[in-house]
Amino acid sequence: MSEKPNDKLEEKLRSIIETIDVANTLTEPITHSIENLLRISASELNSEEASVIVRDGDEGDLKFLAAIGKVAGQLLNLKIPAGKGIAGFVFSSGQTMALNDVGEDDSFYAEVDKQTGYSTQTILATPLRYNSEIIGVLEYVNRIGDESFTPAEMDKAALYAEAISSLVNAYETSKLFRELSDKMLSTDEKIKFEEARRWINNLRETAEHKEMIDLALLVREIASRGEAERKLCIEIFESILRFSKNNAETDFLSF
Amino acid sequence: MNQIEGSIKVPYFQIDESWKSRTGKGVSVAVIDSGIDTNHPDLCGKVKESVEARLDNKRIIFEPSEAGDSAGHGTACAGIISRIAPDAEFYSIKVLGAGGLGDGQAFLAGLEYAIKNRYQIVNLSLGTTKPQFFAPLHDLLDRAYQAGCIVVAAANNLPQPSFPSVFSSSLISVSKSEEANYFNFGFRYGEVIELTAPGVNIHTAWLGGGYRNLTGNSFACPHIVGIIALLLEANPGLTPFQIKSALYAIAKENQIHETEMEK
Repeated sequence: MSEKPNDKLEEKLRSIIETIDVANTLTEPITHSIENLLRISASELNSEEASVIVRDGDEGDLKFLAAIGKVAGQLLNLKIPAGKGIAGFVFSSGQTMALNDVGEDDSFYAEVDKQTGYSTQTILATPLRYNSEIIGVLEYVNRIGDESFTPAEMDKAALYAEAISSLVNAYETSKLFRELSDKMLSTDEKIKFEEARRWINNLRETAEHKEMIDLALLVREIASRGEAERKLCIEIFESILRFSKNNAETDFLSF
Repeated sequence: MNQIEGSIKVPYFQIDESWKSRTGKGVSVAVIDSGIDTNHPDLCGKVKESVEARLDNKRIIFEPSEAGDSAGHGTACAGIISRIAPDAEFYSIKVLGAGGLGDGQAFLAGLEYAIKNRYQIVNLSLGTTKPQFFAPLHDLLDRAYQAGCIVVAAANNLPQPSFPSVFSSSLISVSKSEEANYFNFGFRYGEVIELTAPGVNIHTAWLGGGYRNLTGNSFACPHIVGIIALLLEANPGLTPFQIKSALYAIAKENQIHETEMEK
């Protein structure tokens, strides 16, 4: 490789890129799983649209993480200012609520409808909690038939919220992972970006990097088979680690 | 009927004709929530004071507020109370909507503010599941109980318990029922959440002078607050313990009446 920025930087970049790619490989299915759960639950709750809304920054603002329905794509670009709309309230209060005739006035939802061309009529919103912490809001919009969401549907939504919360937490953890990598890049010595980008592309083409990703996929596949497989996998990996104790190269996830 | 139930039955607290003239006059009600829209036709002139939580050097302080309601929820709760007790005096303690305040931290401070100001009833349609708030909330509610301040809290709709609604000794906790008549509330003796009140498809005040149909435990809680305001208007000296006993007696009468109607 002739286009190396420099040896120290190369080592750091290699570590970061590997981390990002492994994180992406492991977490990509998470958003698909969230969308699948949204589809299943929305059908059970007789709802046209469903979305997962999560924290955006430290000031209580929110954004859409996943959505299904006619305007899903447009929702993913929207931000919700702190405390605004039903989602903002549910996020800050932790209370589940449902309401009718949402878009009648000039409030937050009228603005959202204006941007998406949708007409919000009924909403059911329930908090997503992980370890007692509110991490987002699960929202169902427009119950088919224009009737209000029922108390039984609120209970069902709370159950789905439990499952979705775990997925959202996994997603957020991976995001933190990526942000940490970005921070490492940005605080590093001055990088010649074009040069670094070419180098990264080359790195991603190497057999070693591809093997690393295949290994991550293999681990994920084994981990999804069941508890016995997970335990066996851990034992095998730990014995490999013990075997190559003095070889730091096997510890590919450490910075 | 077991012995405990029989001994608590107090006919004095039955709902009768005398209740028709009650309006909650002179009773102070604090609403710890997202604020109250003071211009809403149902609430105009009824909100005596509005304050808002603000972070000041890592401490939460309360300042007079003209921000109104940022979400609609506080207005909805005040609207329900006002329908039952139209002459009650409202005090809005806005703890939701401001950026950067934690979910438990701000409403804990709001509750402390309400107790310090000795408001007679506190509507707390909020809760937290964070374990770190368990002990401070417990202490605060004991202080409220000793100060004669009646705190009414909404249960959450989640599998985990939320504070303070699970503290049954020092406050009144409420969950929603599909009942339409607010006088026909229920008391489930021995349950964690003791009271049930209308909370499904409740037509009440909302932002911009409008109305919405709302469902949630949040909207069951203010129905009980309204009933307590009527009780306190006629019996101003009642303590939190006596209020709970009165609610129990009325709910028992409701149940007996319902059983007789079914026969």
